Amino acid sequence: MNKLVLLLTMFFLLGTGYGVKAQDDHDDHDDHNETVSTTHDDHKEGEEHADEDEHKEGIVRLSTAEMVEFGIVLDTAGPGKIRNEIVVPGEIAVNGDRIAHIVPRFSGVVKKVLKRIGDNVRTGDVLAVVESNAGLTPYDVTALMDGTVIDKQINVGEVPQGDTPAFIIADLDTVWVNLNIYQMHLTDVHTGQLAAITSDHGISYATGKISYISPVVDEHTRTATARVVLDNSSGKWYPGLLVEGRIATDLYTAPIVVPKTALFNLDDADVVFVLTDEGFVAQPVRIGRTNHVNAEIIEGLQEGQVYASDGGFTIKAEMQKESFGDGHAH
Amino acid sequence: MLEKLNDFALKNRLLIIVFGVIIIAGGYYSYKQLPIDAFPDVSPNLVQVFTETEGLAPEEIEKYVTYPVETAMNGLPGVTKIRSVSNFGLSVVNIYFEDGMNIYFTRRLVGERLQEARSQIPEGFGEPKMGPISTGMGLVLFYYLEDTTGTYSLSELRSIQDWVVKFNLQTVPGVTEVLGIGGYEKQYHVILHPERLLRYNISLQELIETLETNNLNVGAQFLERNAEEYIVRSVGLVTTLDDIKNIVVKTEDGTPIYLSQVAEVKPGGAIRRGLQTRNGISEVVSGQVVKLYGTNSSTVIGRVEQKMAEINKMLPDGIRIVPYYEQKSLVTAAVATVTNALIFGIFLVVVVLLLFMGGIRPSLVVALAIPFSVLFAAILMRRIDLSANLMSLGGLAIAIGMLVDGTIVIVENIERKLRKADPSEPKLHVIARACREVARPIVFAITIIIVVFIPLFTLQGVEGKTFRPLAYTVAFAMLGSLLFAVFMAPVLSSFFMKRRKNVSAKDDGKERGLIKWLLVLYQPIIRFFVKRRWLAISLAVVLMLIGGAIFPRLGSEFTPSLKEGTIVLRLTMAPSIALTESTRIAQIVERRLMKIEEVTSVVTRIGRGEVGAHTDPVNSAEMYILLKDPKEWTHGSTQDELQDYIRDQLGEIPGVLTNFTQPIEMTVDELLEGVRAELAIKLFGDDLTVLKEQADRIAAVVGKVRGAADVQADQISGTPQLLIRVDRQAIARYGIDVENVQRTIQAAIGGTVAGQLFEGLRRYDILVRYHKEHRSTPEQIGDVLVKAPSGAWVPLEQLVTMREIIGPRQITREDNQRFITIQCNVVGRDIGSFVKEAQAAIDEQVDLPPGYLVTWGGQFRLQQEANKRFAIVIPATLLLVFLMLYSSFNSLKNSLLILLNIPLALVGGIVGLWLTGENLSVPASVGFIALFGIALENGMVLVTYLNQLVRDGHSYNEASVTGASLRLRAVLMTAMTTGLGLSPLIFSTGVGSEVQRPLAIVVVGGLITSTILTLLVIPSVYRWFAKYPEAAQIRVENKE
Repeated sequence: MNKLVLLLTMFFLLGTGYGVKAQDDHDDHDDHNETVSTTHDDHKEGEEHADEDEHKEGIVRLSTAEMVEFGIVLDTAGPGKIRNEIVVPGEIAVNGDRIAHIVPRFSGVVKKVLKRIGDNVRTGDVLAVVESNAGLTPYDVTALMDGTVIDKQINVGEVPQGDTPAFIIADLDTVWVNLNIYQMHLTDVHTGQLAAITSDHGISYATGKISYISPVVDEHTRTATARVVLDNSSGKWYPGLLVEGRIATDLYTAPIVVPKTALFNLDDADVVFVLTDEGFVAQPVRIGRTNHVNAEIIEGLQEGQVYASDGGFTIKAEMQKESFGDGHAH
Repeated sequence: MLEKLNDFALKNRLLIIVFGVIIIAGGYYSYKQLPIDAFPDVSPNLVQVFTETEGLAPEEIEKYVTYPVETAMNGLPGVTKIRSVSNFGLSVVNIYFEDGMNIYFTRRLVGERLQEARSQIPEGFGEPKMGPISTGMGLVLFYYLEDTTGTYSLSELRSIQDWVVKFNLQTVPGVTEVLGIGGYEKQYHVILHPERLLRYNISLQELIETLETNNLNVGAQFLERNAEEYIVRSVGLVTTLDDIKNIVVKTEDGTPIYLSQVAEVKPGGAIRRGLQTRNGISEVVSGQVVKLYGTNSSTVIGRVEQKMAEINKMLPDGIRIVPYYEQKSLVTAAVATVTNALIFGIFLVVVVLLLFMGGIRPSLVVALAIPFSVLFAAILMRRIDLSANLMSLGGLAIAIGMLVDGTIVIVENIERKLRKADPSEPKLHVIARACREVARPIVFAITIIIVVFIPLFTLQGVEGKTFRPLAYTVAFAMLGSLLFAVFMAPVLSSFFMKRRKNVSAKDDGKERGLIKWLLVLYQPIIRFFVKRRWLAISLAVVLMLIGGAIFPRLGSEFTPSLKEGTIVLRLTMAPSIALTESTRIAQIVERRLMKIEEVTSVVTRIGRGEVGAHTDPVNSAEMYILLKDPKEWTHGSTQDELQDYIRDQLGEIPGVLTNFTQPIEMTVDELLEGVRAELAIKLFGDDLTVLKEQADRIAAVVGKVRGAADVQADQISGTPQLLIRVDRQAIARYGIDVENVQRTIQAAIGGTVAGQLFEGLRRYDILVRYHKEHRSTPEQIGDVLVKAPSGAWVPLEQLVTMREIIGPRQITREDNQRFITIQCNVVGRDIGSFVKEAQAAIDEQVDLPPGYLVTWGGQFRLQQEANKRFAIVIPATLLLVFLMLYSSFNSLKNSLLILLNIPLALVGGIVGLWLTGENLSVPASVGFIALFGIALENGMVLVTYLNQLVRDGHSYNEASVTGASLRLRAVLMTAMTTGLGLSPLIFSTGVGSEVQRPLAIVVVGGLITSTILTLLVIPSVYRWFAKYPEAAQIRVENKE
């Protein structure tokens, strides 16, 4: 610590042009200090340098002007909210609970097709007329639910075979968003969590709740599916659209929350630079939960303490600078 | 034989005059042809090998690049040392060769071995290439591009720099390289959004391959049609932005998917490791002109300026090249310093001549010796390709006073003889007689002066390169003065000097003018001493004791630093700093500097630009502080004073270490030791952590030694790393190979170049990279998707482990071993004693583990080497001088008497240094050497005359008094011309005067004591050292 003071004072004296003589004086002083005491508060060297001399190890004193110049922003430690989210890819799919496969009951020749893909139909609407092979009587194939025809595999003259659906009617008022959940996120994702669904090019944005998580993972992609049911009355969520889902996995209030810009790594410890009466001190902290902007401080920072929330790098550099000459040796 | 030469000259007077005119004309012509430099080039003889490997950490660089290059260079002939620095993204290997080896030969040797090294460096890890064919003095001009319209973007300006300015400047003869820095090198960026890749199921690798395969021109020989050949040229190169956008990356069921659907394609700037800012307000694009080795700085700069004027006309309106550092101004200033000293010196010498000779005619003959000798030296300088610089011209300035000495003695004797001579004797006979008397001692004296400069020729390394030019010019000029004294002086005297027409008894044989009054003072004193010779001895002993007592008090240093007239402020910021932050800090400092009245502009280079001259990391900034004309300074008149004022005004900058330096000093120091401080302590060892710990400890110990300033251990650690380790188990589960993961990481985070876009001849890289929002945090990096062969997309986080660690910033190696440097400057005391104290402190307080070794370097080491060599060469030279004296006088006693001059001359030099507070440095040593010669010369002339008097039958005492009185004028004149000739150097404050001053002080101080000795002590003690016995035995002697 003695050397630190010496070094700082020397820098200062050099700066003020005291030159060699001043250093000599200082040398004596330093010797004196080493033999007599280890406290520095009484270490004085010319009244006008009092500020400089009160430097303690690891304390950085900056004037308000300097803080403004170097862009150091102060904040007071306090509670805050931390919201965690994961971003996952997904796909819009037809609502599996609101889909009808219309299969002609009797095989026969299709006489008429009345609805095309994209037509909205209501329950009971005639979709096509098929002449039954059995009685050569035509019968109506009717819609079994309200919705939109999204597929049609039937044309006049055909003889639909087996169980191939002739029409698929889906209710597109709601759609499913199937989000792919990677292994690493499986434990974080639960039903009931909110998910924000966005599509590229700013087409659309909506939020919904996760209503279902598949109990098995896909054997190729090794992902599970989380499902959000979205209202699609506007019709802009086209099934097949690839989307991005932001699932809010966690949202809580912590007693002390700081922005991540306040956190630095100094000598292998996480620190926050706290402003004390004497200057900035590196306060080691324990970090709790974090998201990409904020971090919860579990230990080391008290509510009401003033800390550098931004621009703290200058303080860190100043602390390191002092160690250039003096080292961590003691 | 000498007499014959004299006689020959007098018989062929016209021939001699013609000969003289030829030499003067030839000398003037040669002088005009001389290359002009600021200082002698002291850069070591080295070849630098640079390898750029973008984005690779220092450990990897060391392993893959530096080590193969380094080992390939082992065992090359003439290699003295190999040093390397592995930085982030850059490997620099310096191969030092013995001085004097041809630069092109050494480069060829390195080039051959580079082939070998290349084969050892894995594919894609960069191409090692040699640095510019230049030296530390090669950075002759820096400029930036000024955009007065404010409409050009930084990347447009950089394109102008790279493709217009640089291209044209490189064609200037003597320019070997132009290195650009600042702004953005233009690239075309293909910015990817991972979700779109996922949507179209295209992996990064597939995309890069597609880009590369859709960008090609080919030739397909020719068609023969109707006896004509049609060359077949197939064009498929992308040439516009739209070409890139329209590359089809995939076709799904006949529907093409264009690149623009998958990615944003736009022009952008390359990743950069350095930039330039100006005045704290803007970034600028700039360039550095590197001069070819061995070319003439002033002409090259002149040509570059001319070319710049031409380029300025070609540039778009509003854009202008603004030079902000030119070595030329330094060259001019340095040359002006010595030229002024030369002119003023000549003036003083002429004044002395007029005063002492008491006539214009003899003075004119003597004064002519100066231009003759100087121009004669110019001819020889031209012959051996010696440039006119601070040191070589300084040599002439030193010699000015000595050049006239020989002629003074001759002319003085001629004048006296003419005055006394019988009017009937022909004038030429009188002159011949006068010459005969003094010719021999003069030739020996001048030869001895040349001989004492021999030690300077043996100096090696920096000191050799610095002072050898000086030794050469002194020797050349002295040789010229010798020729003048022997041939020209008698002839010119015969033309110019008149014999007294009315020989009146009144002033016959009497001295005239000033010297008459001096003699009135001198004669009683000399009589007194001759009678009480013990007093004379005591006087000598007392003087020597004083010298002995003062000598240990002198500080020592290598060479006082030359003031280049340009102040550079060097900032060292935290090693982990990002370029954006270091730019912000640098601009804050720039703004503070701009508030200082004397500062007109500040241009800062942060980090490095194009590789070749600087290899600084981004935490290092060099600020060129441009100042008003010194006449307008209000806070100090010298560079040092103003520098102190700026330092004061700047104050402490939080988180930044500041250091004032100068452009050439900085570059040369860096090449010499790899460090910029006066003292470099190196700690060798293997483990970086141990090295760092021990170096910090050493720095702490050294910092406590008095005089230590700017103590700084190399910042080898302190760079945070995000260490990604591939989890082999995990990738095995998905069947993904390591390369796939690594290439994805490289492309997604750092970007991968996938071909180039040609705009005419300008070519720009196409860089594929993830969008910033998908690669900026470790979390986002964890989300980077890797496509498995099965088609599954797997986030990186499931394949790798990521850890944040603190890694090394750079790894330095010397002679195949890692080391760390502790730099230190010494303030307020000499380095020699500082090192001793620091060494003792380290031995006592630092306990190094086995395998770790400390060495000391920097300026201090050079000084030690110089001292060692001087310790051998100086005694050898003295022996040689003694032999010459002996052969001249044929008397051991006489020779010893003359040698006695040396210690007494030294005393004066020592006292001079002490009084002016200068250190014992190499220039001071050079001064001592010159002093030897001058002291001997005086002694020789006097002793020769005393011998003659004794031979002519005078008693010892009578001879001593008469001889000394008669020689008073000659001795005082030679001493005063030499001393006054040098005095402008003592008081000069111009560029380079710091180096000349100690030298001049030593000579002037020494001259004073040695003149006193010559005039008082030698005559007094002559009796004991006499060659001839007193009158009685003369006849016996003559018979032998």
